[in-house]
Amino acid sequence: MLFKRLSILVAILLLFSLVLAACGSNAGNEPAANSGEEMTAEEPAAEEPAAEEPAAESDCSSADVFCVGLVTDVGEIDDKSFNQSAWEGVQMAATELGAQVDYIETKDAKDYATNIGLFAENGYDVIVTVGFALGEATLEAAGNYPDIKFIGVDQFQGEAAPNVAGLIFNEDKAGFLAGSLAAMLSESGTIAAVLGTDLVPPVVAFKEGYENGARYINPDINLISTYHPGGMDVAFTDPEWGASTAAQAITQGADVVFGAGGKTGNGALIEVASNEGLYCIGVDSDQWETVPEAHPCLVSSAMKLITPGVFDLVKAAQDGSFPTGNYFGSVGLADFHDFDGQVPQDVKDKLAEIDAGLQDGSIETGYNPGG
Amino acid sequence: MMNPEIESSPGNGRFLSTLQQIWRSISVPLTAVLLAALIGAILLIASGASPLEAYAALFKGSFGNAQAIGRTLEKATPLIFSGLAVAFAFKAGLFNIGAQGQLLFGAIVAAFLGFSIEGLPAIIHAPLALIGGAAAGALYGAIPGALRTYTGAHEVITTIMLNYIAINITDYLADGPWKDMTPGNIVARTPKILPSAEIPYIGNVPVGFILSVLAAVVVWWLLWHTTIGYEIRTVGLNSHAAHYAGMRVAWTVILTMALSGLLAGLGGAVETQGVVGRYQPGFNIALGFDGITIALLGKTHPFGVIPAALLVGAMKAGSSQMQFSAGVAKEITDVIQALILFFVAADVIVRWIIRMRASDGDQVTFSSNWGQS
Repeated sequence: MLFKRLSILVAILLLFSLVLAACGSNAGNEPAANSGEEMTAEEPAAEEPAAEEPAAESDCSSADVFCVGLVTDVGEIDDKSFNQSAWEGVQMAATELGAQVDYIETKDAKDYATNIGLFAENGYDVIVTVGFALGEATLEAAGNYPDIKFIGVDQFQGEAAPNVAGLIFNEDKAGFLAGSLAAMLSESGTIAAVLGTDLVPPVVAFKEGYENGARYINPDINLISTYHPGGMDVAFTDPEWGASTAAQAITQGADVVFGAGGKTGNGALIEVASNEGLYCIGVDSDQWETVPEAHPCLVSSAMKLITPGVFDLVKAAQDGSFPTGNYFGSVGLADFHDFDGQVPQDVKDKLAEIDAGLQDGSIETGYNPGG
Repeated sequence: MMNPEIESSPGNGRFLSTLQQIWRSISVPLTAVLLAALIGAILLIASGASPLEAYAALFKGSFGNAQAIGRTLEKATPLIFSGLAVAFAFKAGLFNIGAQGQLLFGAIVAAFLGFSIEGLPAIIHAPLALIGGAAAGALYGAIPGALRTYTGAHEVITTIMLNYIAINITDYLADGPWKDMTPGNIVARTPKILPSAEIPYIGNVPVGFILSVLAAVVVWWLLWHTTIGYEIRTVGLNSHAAHYAGMRVAWTVILTMALSGLLAGLGGAVETQGVVGRYQPGFNIALGFDGITIALLGKTHPFGVIPAALLVGAMKAGSSQMQFSAGVAKEITDVIQALILFFVAADVIVRWIIRMRASDGDQVTFSSNWGQS
C-alpha cells in the first residue's frame, strides 16, 4: 500500500519536473524584450505587466548604463493613479533618456525595504518609491546606499538627506481651483465633495482647498462634504458608498460633485454621470482618461502632475543637478475635454487669475496643517 | 528508501506503521501543494514566463541565503500563531474567523505598552508588552465564546462582525489617542516602540519564530496531555456526550475561544515587537485570515501548522525576488496559495488522485453543531 502511494507521488513529481524542464528551455531561447516600450503613456491600462521581461541584472552595475527602478506602494502598477503616473514618468525616462527601467509591485507593506533592496543590490542608479508609506524605508535605504539617488513620491522630507528628493504637491491648491470652478458652475448654490478618509492628510488638503476655493467665489455657498466613515482598508475602495453619498448630496440640491478618494470617489463621479445636467470633478490625474463612465458630467479634474515631476527628477539625477529635500511638483486643473464649449470664457479667465494668484502667493488656500 | 525487505521484517512493524501514519496525514497536503505548483506552472507559461526561472527565483528569495531564510522565518512567525489559534478552536468544534481582529488588538496593545512605558529593562519590558498583547487577544476572543455560550449566537457570525469592530477601533486609536505626533508624520500610526520592547534576532533567526514554535509545543501538550485538553477535544467531537459525561461545556467553549484569541493576540504582539516596530493600519491585513489556510493545510494539528506556515511564509518572502528576476506578477503566489487551499479543502479530488479512502476521524470537522445550541 505504502509502496504504491509513494510511487504515484514520485510519478507526479516526475511529471512536474518534465513540464518544468520543457517550458524552461523554451522560454530561455526568447530574446529579452525592451521593457521600456511595453506600455505607452497614453494607454490607461497595461494589459500584461506580467509578461514584461526584467532588465538584465548585470547591466545595471556598469557605470554607463543608467538604470531606474520603481517600487510601488501596496497595489498595482496600472492603478490609474499614483503608481501608474509615477511609472509613466519613469517610462518617459526610458524613451527620452535611454534609461533601463523596471518596477516591483509591493504585495505586503512589510516588504518595502526588501523591494528597494533588490534594486539597490543590483546596481540601479535611481530608485523611485511611490507613496508616503515608503518614506521610512526610503530614508533607511538612502543611508545604506549613498551612491544611489532616491525619489520619494508624496514623501515629505523633514530634514534633507543628501541623496533623497521628496516629490510633493500642494493638494490644497488643486482643491482650491476645483472649488472655484464648482462654485462658478453651480446654479443651485449647493456643491458637494465625496472624500476618502480624513486619515490621509492629502485628502484633507483637497477638501479644505475645495471648500475655501468655493467660498472665495461665493461666500454664501452651501457645502456638503462627506468623508468615508470606514478605515484605511475600505475608504478608497468603496464605490457603492461613493455613489450613494453622491446621490444623497444631489437630492439635497448639489449640482456639482467633487469625488476625491480613489475608487470611492470614482463611484461618486459615475453616480453623478447618471443624472442630467450635473457636473462632477475628478482628482489626482485627468480622470477623463481613467473613468470613461463619468464623461457625461466630468468637467475637469484636480490634478497632481506626478508624471512630469518624476521625469524631471530622474533627468536631474542623470545630469547631476539632483535636488535634495522637498521638490514641489505642479498641480492644476485637467483639460475640460467635451465641456470646453460649455465653460464660459469668463470662468476660464477667472481660473487662470486664481491659478496665478495661488502661484505668486497673493491668494492663500487657508489650509494650514501645522496649525 | 523503502525496500521490501524492511517491510517484511517483523521487528520493523511498529516503525513502519508510524511511518504509514505520518504518510497518511501528510499525503493530502503534500499532493495539494504539488498540484497547486503544477497548475501554477501552467499559469506561468500562459502569462509568458518560465516556471523554472520563476520557481528558482521564488526559492532564491526564500531560502537562497541566510538573509532569505531569516525573511521566511519572519513571514512564517505570525502565520504560525494565527494558524495555531484557528487550529486550536477547531479542536473544540469552533470556527474562529476572528483571529484577524484578535491579532490586531494584540498588535496595537503591544505597541502601546512598547512606546508608552519608559525606563524598564528589556528583560521586563518586552515580555510585558507580549503578555499585554496576548491578554488583549484573549479578552477579545472570549467575547464570541461567551456570546456562543449565553446567547447561542454562532461564533462564525460574531467573529466576522468583531473583526470589523477591531479594524475600526484600532484605526481610531492609531489616528487618535495613540497617534505618532512626530513632526512630519502625516499618517495614522503609533509611535515607534522603545528598543527595550523590541524582540531581537539571533543571527538571522527572529526570536519571535522560536516563540511561535514553543507555542505550538505548548498547544500540543495542552490538547493531548492535560484534562482541559481532553475536555476541549471531547466537546469538539460531541458536545452532548461531553455534557453527559459531566464536563463543563459552556466554560470549555469560552476558555477555548479565549485561548485561541490569546494565540492570535500573541502573534500580533510578536509582529509589532519583532518586525514592524509600531502599529500601523494596513500592516497586518490578512495575517489572521491566512491562519485559516494554515490551520487547514496543517490538518489542524499544532505540528502541522509549522510546516504549513513555513511554506506560505516562503512564498511571501520569495515573491518579490520572483517578480524582479522572472518578471512574474506578484499575484501568482496568491493564486498558488489559493490553489493549495482549494486542493486541501477539496479532499476528495486529492484522495481520488492518490487513491486513498477517507478514514473516520481523519477529516477536519467544521463546527459540527450549526444551529443546535
